[in-house]
Parts: sequence; C-alpha cells; structure tokens
Amino acid sequence: MLQFILSGLAIGSVYGLIGMALAISFYVTRVINFAQGQIMMVAIMITATISSAGYSPWIAVILGLLSSCIVAVLSYVIAVKPILAFNRFSFGWLVSTLGFAVMLENAAAYLWGPTSRPFPAILNGYSIHIANAVLTGQQVLAIAVAIVFAAAFELVRKRTLYGKLGVAVATDPDMASAIGGNTTVVAIAAFAISGLFAGVAGILIGPSTFANPYLGSTYGISGFIAMMIGGGTEKPLSAMFGGLLLGVLANGANALIDSQASDWFPFLVLVIILIVTPRGLFSSGGFSFPRLMRRAR
Amino acid sequence: MSPLSNPALEISALSAGYGRFDVIRDVALRVGKGEAVALLGPNGAGKTTVLRAIMSLIKNRRGSIRIGDTDVSDFPPHRVASGYAAIAPEGRRLFTELTVEDNLVLGAFHLRHEKARVAALLASVYELFPVLLNYRQRRSSFLSGGEQQMVAIGRMLMSDPEILLLDEPSIALSPVAVGIVVKALLELRRRGASLLLVEQRVDIATQVCDRLYIMTHGEIVEEMTPDDIRRQGFDIINKYLG
Ligand SMILES: Nc1ncnc2c1ncn2[C@@H]1O[C@H](COP(=O)(O)OP(=O)(O)O)[C@@H](O)[C@H]1O
Ligand SMILES: [Mg+2]
Repeated sequence: MLQFILSGLAIGSVYGLIGMALAISFYVTRVINFAQGQIMMVAIMITATISSAGYSPWIAVILGLLSSCIVAVLSYVIAVKPILAFNRFSFGWLVSTLGFAVMLENAAAYLWGPTSRPFPAILNGYSIHIANAVLTGQQVLAIAVAIVFAAAFELVRKRTLYGKLGVAVATDPDMASAIGGNTTVVAIAAFAISGLFAGVAGILIGPSTFANPYLGSTYGISGFIAMMIGGGTEKPLSAMFGGLLLGVLANGANALIDSQASDWFPFLVLVIILIVTPRGLFSSGGFSFPRLMRRAR
Repeated sequence: MSPLSNPALEISALSAGYGRFDVIRDVALRVGKGEAVALLGPNGAGKTTVLRAIMSLIKNRRGSIRIGDTDVSDFPPHRVASGYAAIAPEGRRLFTELTVEDNLVLGAFHLRHEKARVAALLASVYELFPVLLNYRQRRSSFLSGGEQQMVAIGRMLMSDPEILLLDEPSIALSPVAVGIVVKALLELRRRGASLLLVEQRVDIATQVCDRLYIMTHGEIVEEMTPDDIRRQGFDIINKYLG
C-alpha cells in the first residue's frame, strides 16, 4: 500500500511537471500546446546524445533543458503567435501545435532513428527505506524536484513584479498591455518556463524510459490529464496536485486491477472528475460537497 | 509655436473599428495641457472606441494621434502606456486576483526601475483616496464598486502619463461614491492633469470639464462649453443624447 503510493507520487511528480508545463503556457495565452510531450522528448534526446558523446551528465542535462526551452519558444513563435495574431479566439492552434508535435517527432526519429538510446543514470544505486517501502534515489529526486519547481513557480507568480504581470496578462491581456505590459514578451517567457518544466520532467523520467523519439505523446497525454483533473487551466499549481493524484491512481490501478490498468484507468478517473467538478479538483471552483449535491438535484 | 505649447492630446482624421467595420469615422479632437475635456454621447456612439484607439488597443485604425510632442499612432499599446496615456476603462477591469496595492504598482510598470518615483506616486494616490490605505493587501475583487473605481483611477495615475483617459467613471456607483470620484477629478485638475472624460452624465461633465464634445453614430457632431449649456439649458445637449 505505502509502496504504491510512494512510487505513485514519484511518477506523479513527472506528470505534474508536464501538467504544469501545459498549464503555464495556457495560463497566459489560453492555448494548449499539444507539442509539450515532444518538447520533453527533445530534452531527453539532447541530454542522451551529449552525455553519450562523453561529456559530463551535468553539462548534458543543462544543454538538454536549454534545448527544450528554445524549442518551446519556437513552438510559440511558429505555431501559436501567428494564429493568435490572425484571430485571438480562433482554434487554429489545435491544428498548429499538433502539427508542431508531429514535426518534432519525425525530425527526432529522422535524426536519431526509432530505437531507444541509453540515458545517463542520475542518482542510481541510492535507495531509501520508509517503513516497509523502498524508494530509489531517482524517485526521491523526482518528488523533491517537483516540489521545488512548483513552489518556486508559485513564489515568482505571487511575489515578484514580473509574476504579477503574468497574473495580469492571464486575467485580462488587453488591460495588461494598457498598463505597459508587453504581452508578446510575457507569452515568450511563459513558453520558455513551460519548456523548462517539460525538460525537467524529461530528465527525471529519462533514466527509466531511455531516449526514444516516440515517447512524447504518452507523457503529453498524462500531463494533459494531470492538468485537467487538477484544474490547472485556472491555476498552474493545481496541475501538480493533479499529477500526483494521477500517479497514485495509475499505480494503484496497476497493483490492484491488473498490470495494464494504468492505460485506461486514468481516463476513467478524468471523466468521473470532470463530471463531478468540471473545473478540476484543485481549482478555485474545485470540489466541494455542497456544490455536488446542488448539481445532483 | 514652441513644443511646450503642444496640446496634451491631438487627434485628427481618426477612423477605427472592429473587424472590417469602422465604428468611428474622421474624429478630430484636442485636449490642451491642463485642460479637461468631456466626450458625451448616447450608448453605442463610439466613445469607448475612441479611448481604445488612443491606447492602441484596436488594430484597425487610421489617422493620427499625437500626445505631447510625440506621434503615437504606430505605437503598440504597451508603449502608449509608458507615460503617454493611461486609462481607467469602462467596467474598471481591475486585476481581480491581485491586491489593491499590486494593481496600483502594476500601473507603474514602465517605471519599475525608478523605485523612488513609484513610491511617491503611490503616496499621492493614497492621498487622493485615503480609504484605500485600509485595503492595501486586500484582493481587489473584494472591494465595493466605488472603491474599485478608485483603484482603477489610481492605477491610471501610477504611470504618470501626459493624458488621462476616463471611461464613465461614475457609472453604477452610489451617489456618495460619485461624489468622491468627482472630487478626485477636480483635485487632479488642480494638480495640473490633462484629461479626457467620457461621461453619460452631463452634470458631471459640465462640473469637471472646460469643453465638451458630442459624439453620435461614430462622429463628433458638436463642440461646446459648460457656459453654453448654462446659458441655453440642457436641451441643446439632450437632443443628442436621446
Ligand atoms: N469588441 C467589439 N466588436 C465589435 N463591435 C464592437 C465591439 N465593441 C463595440 N462595438 C460596437 O461599436 C459601437 C460603439 O461602441 P462603443 O465605442 O463601446 O460605444 P460607447 O462607448 O459610446 O457606448 C457599438 O455599435 C458596438 O456595438
Ligand atoms: Mg462605452
């Protein structure tokens, strides 16, 4: 029991980071970047390549993160900005960000081939025991990094002038530009930060998945579910809670139903949660029992 | 003419609208330095559109807009907002998730590297609306309508602009709150501000402003002074406002 909760939290941290990546870019642009999983994949591929070329894993990780930030900004410049400039309320970004995802995936498959490559081990060999459960060093690292990044994001959002400008753009982009905010710069910053979060998720998951050009969509979908059940469309931090919950539920399903259950169980949970609380569990309009009773009547 | 005598705001041949349609056509108006000018007109006349066009919030826009010595016609909104013009918009549009003080400080975003100036501006806003001192750390959505309007006006003042744009600051307020807003506008005039006031209430416009423009169907159709109205009665204006 404790074991699958703890390892669920570990994988959930990764889902949460991808969910937050999706939510951060959505927060200021109202666009869901369907290439987020592929952006994570780019960080993994670059890190693996540089590390296997003989450089220190730390340099590989830093360059991997840098690459996912750059690709995320490119996704904004190529697949989002032109669409929104044409019509801020159109849904053209659905097609363009998916297109960008397909492009990234195929480019990666062309460059690196479809087979998996080794990924540098991070904190391998460590493990800690909590009661009768065991967590690997990697799992502990995932949880710790997720907490630090989620907390840092909230701190910047709430306590710094630039964070508050981000909140202003999220609330009312026109008014934010009328007080002197450059909404394009804010959007680019948000996409860069979302690229960082996706990249970090990639570095944390890489040692278990290895480097494969096709792993983007699976994790992109998990991140999307994390954002939706958490309520990350309203507040990026909620996506982290959604991710942690998703990780525990998926792990639990694997342990208690059957070993393939994590393929479909999260979708079932998503549907139930969205019926019960359409804005997500941890949003400001999130789950409350009285509201549920009112809706039932 | 020396540059110093340039008006605070001079608009000529301004046309603007949404999509392909022009809502306002061939608008010309001027606000001198230290002058207060009202823009009156019935609902849907295009008054808000004029203010949005000045702030560059509308893309489809032709004509020229000068603020002080600068032609801002081709500026993006965030540049217009950098000390040229500032707006207390229709419906106030506060950043509701943020506190009162955060809303105010964000108003001075372009002055973010001038800490002392921001502090002085903040102090002068609190001097204008002392009641806001009690709510500094309160979420702006928790304020009454009148207090929210004070925050909106304060946020506009924080960028220390050459021209102030106010869009129906008295709408949907209690008589007491309207009184506070009018008093604040008169105080801003005393401090030498230049302002363009969009109003539905003729009494407020005549009390605060030196000149009035009347706008109907997207065009400015009349210009008058409060004296004209006092001499000839409200009828000369009511026929436009319908
Ligand atoms: N966002 C918009 N899109 C399309 N038409 C608009 C928009 N905003 C206002 N309009 C139209 O422009 C005209 C003028 O509106 P507005 O400037 O708000 O008038 P006023 O402020 O004088 O009441 C109205 O006919 C209105 O329907
Ligand atoms: Mg209006």
